[in-house]
Amino acid sequence: MIAFLRLAVIGFVVLTVVYWLISLYSRSLRREALEKRWDEGEGDAAGGRDAYIEAGMRAYERGLRRRLIGLVYIVPAVVVMLLIWLNNYS
Amino acid sequence: MKYVKWTFYTLIALTVFGFLHYVLPQHDIVRITDTDTRRIDFGENSIFWASPDAGTATAPAQVTRDVKFIETIRPNGRPMVYRNEDTGWIWPPYFKFDSYNLQTEASDLRSTSADPRWVVVTHYGWRNEFFTIFPNAVDVRLADGPDERIIPWANIVILTLLAVAGIMLRRMWLQFRERMLDPVFSNAGEAWDDAGDRAGAARRGARTSWGRFKAWLRSLGG
Repeated sequence: MIAFLRLAVIGFVVLTVVYWLISLYSRSLRREALEKRWDEGEGDAAGGRDAYIEAGMRAYERGLRRRLIGLVYIVPAVVVMLLIWLNNYS
Repeated sequence: MKYVKWTFYTLIALTVFGFLHYVLPQHDIVRITDTDTRRIDFGENSIFWASPDAGTATAPAQVTRDVKFIETIRPNGRPMVYRNEDTGWIWPPYFKFDSYNLQTEASDLRSTSADPRWVVVTHYGWRNEFFTIFPNAVDVRLADGPDERIIPWANIVILTLLAVAGIMLRRMWLQFRERMLDPVFSNAGEAWDDAGDRAGAARRGARTSWGRFKAWLRSLGG
């Protein structure tokens, strides 16, 4: 049981770091895409470039794409359960 | 200096290869001659043995334990001995808890050289006589025959995922450098850049991230 708890705690810490890195990366990509879109003359917001980008980022924070990063926690847990089943019960 | 660099890279590559070769699953086709349990006193080879069975007591400095073994003969007539230990919740992440069941299955599959039953043993680890270390068997099943062709799906999937993770990390780093580091350092370096540095000017002039990245690459070269 102690060994399981240790795995859970270490796994949670490692996955949190991964989650954090991927969130930063994804946000950075979205911001860059918004900047490019504005510079190519696509967007039109009343407040200009900064307002356009901030509005885009707010939409991103609510979007599906950002929520999908939560899979970083779910997928490894499922994989561990699958491995336990495969290696012990099949 | 060049030799130092390449020696360093070669050592890193060998370490990574050795690590993966030890930890990833491999398949052997063998004939099981016997299974038994022996007491092992761990010494300097202790890192090549697993931890005590999941749920059993772990003494602070456990140096002796009974270990299950599976003794086999390969199709070429040479011996191979596997240990059969739980990996439990610990490294490497096989999450194997069924070593006693596996031992029973292995005992059931025993055969003689006169009437061989070939068996596929999935295992990780190395056999080395000088350190007295044994690969850890993870799974046994009956083989089609001594020549059965086995496709290592697990390794294909794991190595592909590792490659994807590596590419992802690299792209994350490049994005970080382009968006966070470059603006900071190009401001600080502007005074010097302006002193006739073509690459610096080209880099500031480039509009897209890809253009900036290419300009940055060129500035490294010249």
